[in-house]
Amino acid sequence: MWPKVWHFLSFGAPGVLIYVCFVLAPIVISFWYSLTNYNPFNPPISYVGWENYFLLFQDKEFLTALKVTSILTVIVVVVPNALGLGVALLLDRPGWLYNALRSVFFTPVILSSVVVSIIWSRLLDNEGPLNTFLRFLGVENPPGWLSDPDVALYSLASIVCWQMLGFCVVVYLAGLQGVPQELLEAAQIDGAGPVRRFRAVTWPLLAPSLTINTVVLLISAFKTYDYVKVITNGGPGAGATATIAFNVLATGFDANHVGYASAMAIVMLLIVAVVTAVVLKLLQRREVDL
Amino acid sequence: MKRVATLTAAVLLAVGLAGCQVKSDAGGTSGGGEEISFLTFETPNLTPDYWNAAIKRVTDKHPEIKVKKLVAPTADGRTAYAKQLLQSGQFPDVMIAVTPAGFAEAGELYAWNPDELKDFQFPTANPIKGKYFQLPANTQTIPPIYYNKKLFADAGVTGEPKTWDELLAAAEKLKAKGTTPFVIGGGKDGFASSMILAGIVSTDLYGKNKDWMTQRREDKVKFADADFQAALTKFADLANKGYIDKASVSRDYAATEQAFLDGKGAMYPMGNWFAANADTKKPAFDIGVFNFPTADGKLIVPAYTGGGMIVSANAKNLSAAKKFALAFQLDKTQLDQSVKADGLFPAIKGYTPPADTGPVFKAGYKLYEDAVKENAVVHTFRWETADDGLLPGMTDKVDQAAQDLITGRKSVADVAAFLDTEWNKAR
Amino acid sequence: MRWVRPSVALVVGAIFFVPLYLVLVNVFKQGGKIASSPATLPVPPTLDNVVSVLTRPDQLFWVSLTNSIVVTVLSVIVLIVLSAMLGHYLARTRRTWTRVLTLVLLAGLMIPPQVILIPISDVLRIAGLMATLQGLVLFNVGYYVPFGVFVFTGFIRGVPVELEEAAVLDGASRSQVFWRIVFPLLRPATASVMIFLGVWIWNDFIDPLIILGPSQGTTITTGIYRSIGQYQADLGSVFALMALATLPVLIFYLALQKQFVKGLTGGATKG
Repeated sequence: MWPKVWHFLSFGAPGVLIYVCFVLAPIVISFWYSLTNYNPFNPPISYVGWENYFLLFQDKEFLTALKVTSILTVIVVVVPNALGLGVALLLDRPGWLYNALRSVFFTPVILSSVVVSIIWSRLLDNEGPLNTFLRFLGVENPPGWLSDPDVALYSLASIVCWQMLGFCVVVYLAGLQGVPQELLEAAQIDGAGPVRRFRAVTWPLLAPSLTINTVVLLISAFKTYDYVKVITNGGPGAGATATIAFNVLATGFDANHVGYASAMAIVMLLIVAVVTAVVLKLLQRREVDL
Repeated sequence: MKRVATLTAAVLLAVGLAGCQVKSDAGGTSGGGEEISFLTFETPNLTPDYWNAAIKRVTDKHPEIKVKKLVAPTADGRTAYAKQLLQSGQFPDVMIAVTPAGFAEAGELYAWNPDELKDFQFPTANPIKGKYFQLPANTQTIPPIYYNKKLFADAGVTGEPKTWDELLAAAEKLKAKGTTPFVIGGGKDGFASSMILAGIVSTDLYGKNKDWMTQRREDKVKFADADFQAALTKFADLANKGYIDKASVSRDYAATEQAFLDGKGAMYPMGNWFAANADTKKPAFDIGVFNFPTADGKLIVPAYTGGGMIVSANAKNLSAAKKFALAFQLDKTQLDQSVKADGLFPAIKGYTPPADTGPVFKAGYKLYEDAVKENAVVHTFRWETADDGLLPGMTDKVDQAAQDLITGRKSVADVAAFLDTEWNKAR
Repeated sequence: MRWVRPSVALVVGAIFFVPLYLVLVNVFKQGGKIASSPATLPVPPTLDNVVSVLTRPDQLFWVSLTNSIVVTVLSVIVLIVLSAMLGHYLARTRRTWTRVLTLVLLAGLMIPPQVILIPISDVLRIAGLMATLQGLVLFNVGYYVPFGVFVFTGFIRGVPVELEEAAVLDGASRSQVFWRIVFPLLRPATASVMIFLGVWIWNDFIDPLIILGPSQGTTITTGIYRSIGQYQADLGSVFALMALATLPVLIFYLALQKQFVKGLTGGATKG
């Protein structure tokens, strides 16, 4: 047999090496910063132990960001997943119309998130097309989609959902193509209605698609930054839409507190890692059970 | 194996090519000999052509200087961008209108000597630890209140408000007529939310105590003190009375300006740079301007002097960088251009703006000149950049505080406490 | 009842399409009309916005386009080679250590680039690669290799080991086997890696902004942001730039669409 070591050195090592240099090493450096009071404009650096972490969990701003990020993540994981499945079922037919619609749904995925942000901030403006339309329908006081602190986060989440929906649609469509027609026909012969057929045959076979969608959505939702920066700048008001990623940069670059920002980043990383690992484990176990 | 070899070769070739292919779109470099890099930013007023022409005027006079123009990705983010460049080892030699605070204390900036500053009107503006790092090139009054003369007339408001009560009375009449009294903005441009608050704090607090912010830095005063809370209350009242449209806290700066020019509100408290657009865009109504009203009508005009160039202490060609910065800022044609394009008030001794500026600029400039004569100029809260300025990262918090007061999400006491908490964190 | 599905699909698609429609019509509309009537059709259509973007005196669009193409193409090629090989190693070696390695790589998928940007600029500076395209390409490779591995590993597991072993018995070397026999079977996975990474790298903002720095010219995304400063009041030009910047990726996606869809779940469902 081919020696494993040689296999690793020739096939695995180059990728691992670059990953270590440009991702792992910087994380270690970040972790070191998080144990210091590093402020590039206020040298020297001194070691402060776990102080940044203690401060973090008393910091209202951070706790709010944690809440904002969690709400955003839950919405962004659930909504495009559910709607994406619906749209995929709707479009799972041959023909030019469905082909064209698939491309329509996928287009936002390839747009830059800043482009999406610019489009939507115009669309949701108080005087923008959406509210103009609502007023035309007779709604007297349409919501301040981005200006009402209680609504802004949900508007922001909807924008992310809009961009990610196409991704889920395409993944589910690919999954649907893997569902053997014979199985569905057999179920039909056994007298199963459409709902029953979906639950007994289609849904279990879509398990891998669900896994991919959930993991990708989870990871991108946690990182949400560009939308916040371009649309709301974390507002309206203090922290209404500020995600952790947003606060990391604001603290690190605007306020120069690189040490504190690094602690935030490390905590964020741990949360993402744990949540993703647990979710992945659950979904994969489910795949096996099915 | 062949495929791998081909691929590898292709990759190497491409990497090699890439090395040669990197081009600068910096509008080329001009001049020769001593090269310096110069960080600019672009706005609707300050276009690439504006900067190229300005650089060329200097290099025509000093052909030995070669200038590489760099452009910050966003106008508002230019200071943050300069920080990122410093941290990644790409600090430019000369930067314009980048806030010197932070860079100066860390020893990254060249401190100008009095002789070099002799042509400037306020050579001692913005001291940082007793030294001067930014050329005090121009003054901006922030915020005078621009108003829509037609809407004022329609609502029966006669005369320009001088006192706070007159301002409230005018706002009440406008509101009764169905007009939004104040146009404000926000979204990614938070400063558009805090303009009125900046005016109130500057006139009410700084008008009595010019050193308020310095004392805040020394912890002698707090945001939770009664006088600061009174200023916050005055601001919150405007929102409570419906003089400010809550829904506009998410509107970006460009759209905010457009809203005022479209007649969607009567008063627009904004920095005097707005005059340039007010004069060129020629809306369907006349625009007037008055000083931000004070409690009792006493003349107090908040302004910020600075806005000029800073030079990296570690510039490779420091003398060329200095020469370029001074020549750029003192060039008469350049000053005229900055007046026309960006509505600036150059703070250069003996300079008068060109005669063909528009009426809004002229009106605003007269207000400022009168204030200088009366010695009534104070710094503008939130816009100061030196030892008497907010701590790094705090301007965003002030904008957020203003938004929380406008939307009514937080009480005045909560906002004051929030500012004190964030201040302690920002240290 | 045969019309129900197409009409529902059409309505849902139309609602979803509204924001894109707004961009499309406004690209071809006179600047002054955009703010007042954003939703109307551009009658008469104008190419002014597009032309003004393409003919800027500083060539911003063209220079940015060149930079973006070079960075994206190079990064994607290197990424496909490295992650397919690493994926092969991980798929074929099932040990505790590879499982740990997989987890460590997976963790990399979740790291927001902002978090490691400051230390990365230190690393690149030490390597003398700061402010170079090569530096940006290397960073992209490191940052996105987990995603490539994620896709390829699943897919390679679906390729029978016997296939490789048979070829080895016939005297082919391991890497010959991989590149001549296994890699061609991975075409759908390659397509999805190409599309995703291509799109992400093309649209990336903060990394090129810092790593490439201001003196090396901009990529297409950083170019858009920069010109928005100047165009903020000129929505026509903003929309034109956004559309032009998206066009290359859109074409790229449409060309690879079929393969890509298979690649997405191919590994998991053996489709």
